[in-house]
Amino acid sequence: MSVRRQLVSRWVIVPGGIAVVTLVWLAYVAAHDHGVVEGRVVDRSGRPVGGASVMLFERGFVTHQERGRATSDADGAFRFTDNRSHSIQLEAEAPGLGRSERRVVRLWFAAQDVKLVEPLRFATSK
Amino acid sequence: MAESTIRRATPLLALRHLALVVVSFVMLVPFYWVLKTAITNENIYAYPPGILPREPHLYNFVDVWYLIPFPRYLANSIIVSTIAVIGNVVFNALAGYALTRDFPGRRAVLALFLSCMLIPFQAAIIPAYLVTAKMGLLNTYFGLAFPLLSTIVCIFVFKAAFEAVPRSLIDAARIDGLSEWRIIVRVLLPLSKPAIATNVILSFIWSWNNFLWPLLITRDPLMQTLPLGLARFLSYMEDTTGALYAFAVMVLVPSILVFLMAQKEFIRGLTSGATKG
Repeated sequence: MSVRRQLVSRWVIVPGGIAVVTLVWLAYVAAHDHGVVEGRVVDRSGRPVGGASVMLFERGFVTHQERGRATSDADGAFRFTDNRSHSIQLEAEAPGLGRSERRVVRLWFAAQDVKLVEPLRFATSK
Repeated sequence: MAESTIRRATPLLALRHLALVVVSFVMLVPFYWVLKTAITNENIYAYPPGILPREPHLYNFVDVWYLIPFPRYLANSIIVSTIAVIGNVVFNALAGYALTRDFPGRRAVLALFLSCMLIPFQAAIIPAYLVTAKMGLLNTYFGLAFPLLSTIVCIFVFKAAFEAVPRSLIDAARIDGLSEWRIIVRVLLPLSKPAIATNVILSFIWSWNNFLWPLLITRDPLMQTLPLGLARFLSYMEDTTGALYAFAVMVLVPSILVFLMAQKEFIRGLTSGATKG
């Protein structure tokens, strides 16, 4: 069998294709695994809540444990920079507003950088 | 073919295809169910069962990858299966060639091989363990692949393939000065690709799915292979319907891939001995 025919055989193309896809995926992961989790906290009417404490829960084997806290700024924005998990939950707490719903955030790989599209929302207004 | 013959054959052919469709459906439904459960979080005991997946997602696969050392188990399984495949092709080809030659006691060796096929591996597992321990191969990749380095069924696959090669071709190679080794490598193996594919597939699948032997000889959790990882995953997790089936899919995919790549040669390899005159 010629070298050209060997190169286009399924024994080369399939493992080669898998290797290429894996390398591309690993490169993408390496460029996006800084553990940054960003989002906003708003009250029931959609106004930003500053000074809210946002808790990050990391998935263990069967439960979620709190791994860190961040405080929202005047625009209600918060940011974590040290997430190492692939499955997290976020919850905000503020004086007078109680606790927001706990948001489940599933990631495609551990420490994936993510920005929440929907803000964490309290059930009450300021 | 006459028109009347075609008319008679068509309903028969349709019936045959209908039977094939029914059998294929029965065979494929469990696979579909595994795949469907893997991409949803549906409870498999829910009644009535949903035929189509609801809100499908791939996060169960991510969970499996991170909640247990899946990459390590995968690497272990690949290394052990590769050793088993290489051992099978090399040792079985040599044994298969030897059995095509005439030597004193050949029939006795054949009878011994055939009778050994009747002994289940479970019955020989204690001596196999002791031999492996004496050789210092416990908890090693080579030890994990050891019992599958040569299998009698695959020796007979090579024997049948080598016997199908015309004797004159081997004699001509010998007259040209080729040694016995080179006859195997240069003449017989290139003409026995279906037998090689059969050996690759069978040894890969046997090694990939092997549970009992790795369970016995591994001491370190990081030396475990995927079937052991699956059992461990099952014992650790609760409410894991989706993730458990995702694990099963991830274990199944490599062996299905190897089979699909070599299925043409595999089927030819299995049937070549059967059709030989």
